[in-house]
Amino acid sequence: MKKALFHSLLAALAALVPCSQTRAAEEITLYTQRHYEFDEAVHRLFTEKTGIVVKVVKAASDELIVRLEEEGANTPADLYMTADGGGLDRAKKAGLLQPFTSPVILEKVPATLRDPESQWVALTKRARVLIYSPARVKPGELSTYEDLADPKWRGRLVARSSSNIYNQSLMTTVIEANGAEAAGAWAAAVRKNMVRPPQGSDRDQIRAVSSGLADVAIANTYYLGLLETSEDPKDRDAAAAVKIFFPNQEGRGAHVNISGAGIVKSSKKAALATQFLEFLLSDEIQSMYAEETMEYPVSETAKWSDIQLKWGKFVADDVAFSVLGDRNAEAVRLFNEAGWE
Amino acid sequence: MAITPQAPALPIVAPVADRRSLPSRWRLRWRGDRWGAGAALLTGIIALPLLAILFYLGQESVEWNHLAETVLVRYLTNTLILVVGVSLLVLVMGVVPAWLVTTCEFRGRRLLSWALILPLAIPTYIAAFVFYQGPEAAIPMMIKIRLRFGVEAFLLAEQVIRYGLLIVMLAAVLYPYVYLACCSAFSRQSRAVIEAARCLGDSPGRAFFRAALPMARPGIVAGVALVIMEVINDYGAVHFFGVPTLTEGIFRTWFGMGDKVAALRLAGIMMLVVAALLAVEQWLRGRARYVEADAGSIPMKRLPLRGGKAILALLACFAPVALGFLFPVGRLLHWAGLHLLSDAGSGFPAGMALVRGLGLALATAFVVTALAALFMYAVRLRESRLRRALGRIAGMGYATPGAVIAVGVLVVFGTLDRFELPLLPLVSGTLFVIAFAYMVRFFAIPLQFTRAGLERIGKPLEEASRLLGHPPLQTFLRVDLPLLRAPLIAAGMLLFVDILKELPLTLILRPANFETLATTAYSLASEARLQACAVPALLIIAVGAVGLLFMNRWLQPPLKNE
Repeated sequence: MKKALFHSLLAALAALVPCSQTRAAEEITLYTQRHYEFDEAVHRLFTEKTGIVVKVVKAASDELIVRLEEEGANTPADLYMTADGGGLDRAKKAGLLQPFTSPVILEKVPATLRDPESQWVALTKRARVLIYSPARVKPGELSTYEDLADPKWRGRLVARSSSNIYNQSLMTTVIEANGAEAAGAWAAAVRKNMVRPPQGSDRDQIRAVSSGLADVAIANTYYLGLLETSEDPKDRDAAAAVKIFFPNQEGRGAHVNISGAGIVKSSKKAALATQFLEFLLSDEIQSMYAEETMEYPVSETAKWSDIQLKWGKFVADDVAFSVLGDRNAEAVRLFNEAGWE
Repeated sequence: MAITPQAPALPIVAPVADRRSLPSRWRLRWRGDRWGAGAALLTGIIALPLLAILFYLGQESVEWNHLAETVLVRYLTNTLILVVGVSLLVLVMGVVPAWLVTTCEFRGRRLLSWALILPLAIPTYIAAFVFYQGPEAAIPMMIKIRLRFGVEAFLLAEQVIRYGLLIVMLAAVLYPYVYLACCSAFSRQSRAVIEAARCLGDSPGRAFFRAALPMARPGIVAGVALVIMEVINDYGAVHFFGVPTLTEGIFRTWFGMGDKVAALRLAGIMMLVVAALLAVEQWLRGRARYVEADAGSIPMKRLPLRGGKAILALLACFAPVALGFLFPVGRLLHWAGLHLLSDAGSGFPAGMALVRGLGLALATAFVVTALAALFMYAVRLRESRLRRALGRIAGMGYATPGAVIAVGVLVVFGTLDRFELPLLPLVSGTLFVIAFAYMVRFFAIPLQFTRAGLERIGKPLEEASRLLGHPPLQTFLRVDLPLLRAPLIAAGMLLFVDILKELPLTLILRPANFETLATTAYSLASEARLQACAVPALLIIAVGAVGLLFMNRWLQPPLKNE
């Protein structure tokens, strides 16, 4: 009994010993907000090609910022990756990133999709659009995000909670375009027009439209793509009953957020990290993003997927991504005041 | 013996041996009080991340007034609605089956007596996905309500369905805390009390309400307290159902508005809510004191039920299991089937990493339980107000959200890192950090089990050993530890299941390339891939269920009534 106890104690301690055996291969460590299974396949491809192993920590973007701040110079992280432009900007302003010097990246990515001081670069784009029921919404009825505040939409809208970063980022662009006061009034009016209090994920908003509860949902395009290719026939039926509308096409364009990455300031493997970023921006991988996660590629030479081509080309809002970071707290404050939960 | 108002606590536990009554060579050693120092040190280490957080509380907050004016009231009302609703429901779902299973005999009783704890294996964030199918399925009905009765009726119905379903869902997976506590309380009650009530003309039902239930009150309260802390701590389910509580407010304020101080003030309010509820219970209890029947008294004999009554009893015990376990597991099996049949279901990611996750959970559960046993022993070695306070402080993590603890742990290790201690790089950023955070978060669980266990053992054996000249450590290892085996194994298993389900803390603190079943399930669910997510979800539930059944086996008091 005593011996068994001793042995199990040893085993327990052994499990807690740091696991740093894999020193042979070169490796980089990535702190990422992206929770996609497809990303793991991309990392494996990178390892096959270059022999560099990618180690990953996944958590929310702001939690990772806190972790980077607390770990300071001792952080194992080489790269910081988010699914939202505001997070990249906040990491930059917290002094957590270092500039990259890669002609490939500068050439490949349009200037609006990377930091002016080259501290981060976008990897994919995602559009936050209106998804509507063609049966109940007339063609001319939809126009802009601002129009959703019109009383004609009373009891016809759905959207998720404003705790979600995608809604917060959309709100920052509305503030930027129309001013804080108008943006606050807009949020309150949209909340009033909602058929039910905010709940669920973007996917659930789309299902609320397809099931007839609401006529229009605010959601990201790739969620519709995921429903269209789902294993569950109910999901595919739901996707078939709705359509995508890109708002503000006459004006500033539809809200586009980015998923992107920057090299961590204290990383001593900037060269490897740059190599990884260049790999992610290659047309091969960029086209795979379009196909697998339904995000839009940032490389203009990469191919869109068939589903994206079916949704059609659109005008995108090219607001600076620093706005997303700068105005985030203001956006949450306005949501709080507007009563958009 | 039930409640003896106005009477002081009966000394079933002999007063702590007076220092002067010990042999003189003892006195010298005693003075060093290494046990007390050890307990204080451990409390300090555990409290460090919480203190790091408290440090921010006093600083200036930009957003606090804004929060107080806009959302604070809603956060508080939602939290209270959930706490009250879930508490009432778990009382029904936990107490009634516990009473039936321990005091009646009916077909299916043995099977149900352990099946009733299984819902504890289901994490609330997974149950939320399944139960959210409810509001989704109700949409056609909602549309009819809107067409026939107008928008106001529709909005009301929507609120009722959503809040109601969330409360039912939380209660359905959390009631086992109450059930377990009640089973243990009922099975240790003396038959004499119930029989006295029956002799005085009470029906079995009245005897239950007048004698058994009041006597089980401490156990019930302990169970409900655990449920309340789980409800208050929940983040995933309330967010999904669109019922923002204080916990959601903490994250929104901290990460969305970047105001750490205001977020931590919300966390402070949360702890106050827990403290206030427990204080109310203390006050309601008044000066009543509770004494457990000693081992010599006659345990209850089960009342055989037949016919309609047996069927009713069966239904009352089956309903919670069906709602909290069979329904969610059934839905998940359906999704997992869809996933595995389709061609997408080819690869299950990170098999090896998952084994490491399980290993970490087991090892942490083992070490933390051992530490908690030693700690509690030290606290009880010389009861004092101070030492009881140590116990309370060390268990505080249970009422703190996982993510807040994670940030506290990061602050502590980050600060230590800056001193560039020689051995620290070996530790920070590794599994040790996450194991430590689990300990801070869950130390209350083994603490409670050990406290209850030590109270039941009482002091006489220990004092005999000490008087025979054995030092405390030897006494602990040779006398108390063997007697504590059952509660310690049960505590370790419950801890294991809780660590297995834990999500927010794990997400923030895990080292690179470290996946647990919970994080895998969460990644897939946040991709809106419910079918794929069902596979790891079912694995969590399966491993958790095995752990719980193992725990239950050790928790069952030996049955002496046959």
